[in-house]
Amino acid sequence: MIEVQGLTKRYGTNLAIENVTFSVEKGGVVGFLGPNGAGKSTTMRVIAGSLGASSGTAKVAGFDVAENPRAVQAMLGYAPEVPPIYTNMTVRDYVSFAATIKGVGDVAKATDRALDRVGLASVAGKLIDHLSKGYRQRVGLAQALVHDPQVLVLDEPTSGLDPAQRVEIRELIRELAAGERTVILSTHVLGEIEAICNRVVVINHGRIVVDDKINNLAAAGKTVRLELARPSPAAHAALAAVPGVESVELTGSSAVVRSDNDLREQLAAAAVPFGLLELGGRERLEDIYLRLISAQGAA
Amino acid sequence: MKAIVAIARREAAAYFAGPIGWICLVLFALLAGMFFSIMLVGYASQASQMGNMGQDENVTEMLLQGLFGNLSVIALLMMPALTMGLIAADRRERSVELLLTSPVSSAQIVLGKFLGALGFATVMVLTTLYVPVALALMGEPDPGVFYASYGGFVVLMAVFVSIGLFTSSVTENQLVALALGFSINLSVWIMGWLGQMVPAGAVKSVVEHLSMLSHFEQLSKGVVHTNDVVYFVTVIGFFLFATTQRVEALRWR
Repeated sequence: MIEVQGLTKRYGTNLAIENVTFSVEKGGVVGFLGPNGAGKSTTMRVIAGSLGASSGTAKVAGFDVAENPRAVQAMLGYAPEVPPIYTNMTVRDYVSFAATIKGVGDVAKATDRALDRVGLASVAGKLIDHLSKGYRQRVGLAQALVHDPQVLVLDEPTSGLDPAQRVEIRELIRELAAGERTVILSTHVLGEIEAICNRVVVINHGRIVVDDKINNLAAAGKTVRLELARPSPAAHAALAAVPGVESVELTGSSAVVRSDNDLREQLAAAAVPFGLLELGGRERLEDIYLRLISAQGAA
Repeated sequence: MKAIVAIARREAAAYFAGPIGWICLVLFALLAGMFFSIMLVGYASQASQMGNMGQDENVTEMLLQGLFGNLSVIALLMMPALTMGLIAADRRERSVELLLTSPVSSAQIVLGKFLGALGFATVMVLTTLYVPVALALMGEPDPGVFYASYGGFVVLMAVFVSIGLFTSSVTENQLVALALGFSINLSVWIMGWLGQMVPAGAVKSVVEHLSMLSHFEQLSKGVVHTNDVVYFVTVIGFFLFATTQRVEALRWR
């Protein structure tokens, strides 16, 4: 449904994104992950047609965004990080305006449906200026889905929200992602990616670091951390001798053991003679993410 | 077409939802009333001395020309304030993303905003409709002069809107757009004065042709010449085209 090929965007001499290539199948829900300034928003804006690429192509349903932006935008809903709202309009007028310029046939019906969908029906008559940040974020989502798009591109939709609002928006996105709709979602909150997405694309310094299914990524990171009372070269050797262990890093009293399989039981047995104080769980997505980002930074 | 109308309606409604629109509207109506009253009193005193109140066949043309001559200077100052936020505010508030990611072309966006602002400017002009009523009570004015004068003034407003829309597209800062709009308006306006200083010849003729003042003088008299119409259409077209290019560039910046 979405094919991004060799996308590069330069601002003068600065490279915002470089040779970004990935694709999303129909109905796929992809999490876009990366630190601030990594190039997530730039990539999303190119896909949404509000920013041109310096080179490379972005296609949605076979239509090249650069060559046929209107066709792409008719089937794509984009919610930028800062909602593109007019604060002097009421919620209903704004969503209705968005529906009209997006070429919706029955504007009133589409507006009602979008307002219901994002839970704005009760504040439809209010000025957007009088709404809280969470509600404004919903208004931004309402304009993105008012034309019932096949593709949703959501740039940090929970940014700046309190935990309760974050959970509400997350649930909403999960509902929107159900079915045939293709979704690209960027966020800093890894829990959201785990809860909503089935695939993750990690981008750093404008380049894609990882593009994989979340399950594969989690499986790749079977790392166990052990705290030892008596760390020594002998402890290192004993842990490394456990069948299946790929590597052992001993730093102070901490030993980090990496393996393909879950070897926690065997590692615990090997570590007991050296005063096993604590056995950490397998590496979480957050740890994997930080490891990937720092590894690329070091490179 | 629906998108253009929707954008135009949104822009026009935005003027009524904020202070700048109301301030300009009320100020324009008050100043128009003041100018008309002063001119009417002046005319009445002059006519009573000559004993021909309401008999002067040129009273309509004279009063309307004087009124719109003064109002054109007010519009020159006021329109940049009305138009400065048309695109600059959208860019600063990021609401422009809605337009740029919707299936509408840059030309549709520009045309919608132009028509919305011009619609509001037309409402400003309509606040002076008591003028023809008052003149009709004084005698039998020529309706053609009314139509041409009002039409001419709306065309002048369209020029100022197109210039303001362009200056609003070149920056995110509304004050810069205001200053730039005012500067362009003034430059085009005073070109006629420059023409008077230039010795006779091809340059003088070009400068005079570029002057908005000389073209508007004809229209405000109710005289419609083809070259004046071509001039205004060209200026409006040029600035709308330039604005469209700017909006298109926003997609590629």
